[in-house]
Amino acid sequence: MTVKTKAKTLKERQDKRFINKETQTAAKYLRRLEELPGAPEGMEPFYQALRRIYVDMEPAPKKPGQKTIGTYCVMTPPELIYAAGAVPVKLCSGNYTAFSIGDNVAPRDACPLVKAVAGFKQTGLMPIYEDCSMMVIPITCDCKKKIAGMLSDQCDIMTMHIPASREDEDIEEYVSQLYDLMESLENVTGSRISYESLSEGFRKVGYAQYELSEFIRLKKQNPYLIRGSHAMAALNASAYMPADVWGKALHRVNSSLKKSISEKKTVTSKKLPRILLTGSPIVFPNVKIPLLIEEMGGIIAGDETCMGERGMWDPAVITDDSFDGMIRALANRALRPCPCPTFADNSQRIYRLKQLIKENHIQGVIYHVLRGCLVYDYEYKRIEEELGQLGIPVIRLESDYNEEDIEQLRIRIEAFIEMIKLRQAPEKAAVVRRSF
Amino acid sequence: MKSIRKIIITSVICAGIAALAYFAWMIPFYQFETNDFSTSIEKIFSADYLATLIPLFIIIGLAAAGIILVIILRRLMAKTDKRNARFAGVRTGRQRGTAPKQKPVLFMIIRWIVMIAFAFVMIWGGLIFGMQMSSLSIPVLSCPWNTEQMTESSCYYLSHLNELFELPWQNILIFFGSTIGFTLLLGRAICGFLCPMGLIQDIMDKIRQKSKAEGIKMNEKMYKAVTPVRWFLVLVFSGLCFAGGNFCNFCPAVAVSPILAGMSTSLYVSGFIMVLVLMGGFFKRRAFCTVCPLGTIMGFFHKISLFRIKKDCQACTECGACYEACPMGIKMIYTERGKADVTSANCIMCGECIRCCPEDNALSMTCAEKKLYTSSRKKIMSGYDPDKNGGAEK
Repeated sequence: MTVKTKAKTLKERQDKRFINKETQTAAKYLRRLEELPGAPEGMEPFYQALRRIYVDMEPAPKKPGQKTIGTYCVMTPPELIYAAGAVPVKLCSGNYTAFSIGDNVAPRDACPLVKAVAGFKQTGLMPIYEDCSMMVIPITCDCKKKIAGMLSDQCDIMTMHIPASREDEDIEEYVSQLYDLMESLENVTGSRISYESLSEGFRKVGYAQYELSEFIRLKKQNPYLIRGSHAMAALNASAYMPADVWGKALHRVNSSLKKSISEKKTVTSKKLPRILLTGSPIVFPNVKIPLLIEEMGGIIAGDETCMGERGMWDPAVITDDSFDGMIRALANRALRPCPCPTFADNSQRIYRLKQLIKENHIQGVIYHVLRGCLVYDYEYKRIEEELGQLGIPVIRLESDYNEEDIEQLRIRIEAFIEMIKLRQAPEKAAVVRRSF
Repeated sequence: MKSIRKIIITSVICAGIAALAYFAWMIPFYQFETNDFSTSIEKIFSADYLATLIPLFIIIGLAAAGIILVIILRRLMAKTDKRNARFAGVRTGRQRGTAPKQKPVLFMIIRWIVMIAFAFVMIWGGLIFGMQMSSLSIPVLSCPWNTEQMTESSCYYLSHLNELFELPWQNILIFFGSTIGFTLLLGRAICGFLCPMGLIQDIMDKIRQKSKAEGIKMNEKMYKAVTPVRWFLVLVFSGLCFAGGNFCNFCPAVAVSPILAGMSTSLYVSGFIMVLVLMGGFFKRRAFCTVCPLGTIMGFFHKISLFRIKKDCQACTECGACYEACPMGIKMIYTERGKADVTSANCIMCGECIRCCPEDNALSMTCAEKKLYTSSRKKIMSGYDPDKNGGAEK
């Protein structure tokens, strides 16, 4: 969409430029995703959802009269938001254009994700942000804390304190925070959260997770049925679609994947190096790294990023049928299984990575660090050591929200994939000069 | 300061228990003029049976009254509490709708059938089938004052050690042989599968789940605080007989099984303890089991018993669902990241952790290395499957 009216003032010209650039970048990456061969049938609804938000610049789909609640991070339980009769939308952003504007608003060393959010809020042009009645911001790092303050002058916000550990007291503390969240949600939407509506919320998200577990089971198949970039696009789209609609769309993908099992149809017949992508969140349209990996001849067989598999993998297990029991289940799910580096002791992330490596037959790990994302950067060292003991090569890729570093990334990814290919077929290694 | 206070509180509680145990037989709770221990099948079907059941009705009535009182009190507290008043309505009000539930698991069905059948056998078994295997002792908390149970329960001689050593040596041998044999063979699976006290508490928990009343979630600190009481109870259980008192004087099981078998038994403190057990079991699943002295003694053998809980540490995501579900508050099951065997001395093999585990094969129960029950993602998500029941889509 382009602004048709004649630009008059400087502000209007800027806005027009912003919209043009934003829609162009999003459309370009969407096209690259669509052009990537080997996509299963039924991916269209996910592309449609991404296109709707970033290219057509429309707010997230909802029923008339429903409110949108913006959320960040995986710690905000969507069940509660559905229970309040609202639609959750994940606002973590990967937008390059908004990033360049946010660069002037946020300090130089802030992470690009936060800069992009700040940029969107600064321009006031993105309907998905403007449409939010409230934003729920779990304080998972310093940048999130400050962005909460910056957003608060333009929008209702609710911050959630994330404890540094996951002891019993922390869970209890988080339970009381969820009650606070419940109250603010009720104030915003005007409808009460009852036992019945909370159960309904559980069912909605539970259905999406039911389909997701089926999807991930199919994704684990070796030889692979789906490319990681496509899977990541589908998972990214869950941020902008109601859980039940997303679940239905994923159901279609699942059945087409099942069909390709019976037809023995795989993505390619070649044996591509299987890569695990982990580290800082990868949010559409910042999908340059997954796209590069797959275009350079690798395949993302597993991803451990919070907009990807990690975000929705763990279900909330109700062990007590009372209302409080359900809230406890949500608090428990939000903190305990979450391998977010915001926790002081996060050794469980290493176990999770090892599990993914084993299940998906991973040959190499790409550790993605957004510039300025300190918490993820801290964990790199330990993960490199631990995975080194397993003999899994790890590479750290630092990137920013722009396309300037794309060639450098391309070279590094290509070299990494070539290295894995050499390990795969050692007889070819004879060509390589080993000693000087 | 705090630790001193803790020690004082714990020792006061222990002293109270000791005094109660010692003087319990003097404090009548409900008394018949004469206790009539004879019973027969005819008696159970006659009107006399109702008269013998009176103490049980009193216990149930008191427990129900107590539970309702606690719920009302909690509701009042929630309403006047500064922080939680705004949630009083939704937390304590009438709750319509049903929470999503996974479909019943075969393991759990079998467990319930075994529990009910065994309780039946331990109460009326002797009357119906005759006294079989009565020389074998099985370590459950089912009152041996009920002389009609099909097999002896070890709790009698374990709490009457002084009497045990007056028996001929063959009997001592059979007693220890069968008790230790059962413990080795089944371990604390006896608690989870056979113990009638466990059944009573599980029924109370089921009632609470159905009524959607809010329970009491015990945390690590509370479990730690209970531990010294538990060990003190072990001491009372096996040692008090030498000092003239007896654990049976205030054992809650005394108040149930003989009465149900048709013996008119007067109630002393034990009946009152039973009221507390029922109330505790209502708000906290298997509350009595956390302090059960017999279970603690059986726990000594947890390292060599055949039933084991196994964990695939690689598959675990530390989601803590098992810990949330565990009625015994075993935290190790979710923090363990190295050992494959996570059987704890407190584990009663109820299988609840496995039922709630969302990772495939992460937890499993084995008997002599044979897998009996394994966790599965599919099972836990079965409640959300739109094809098989009215989930979100329909």
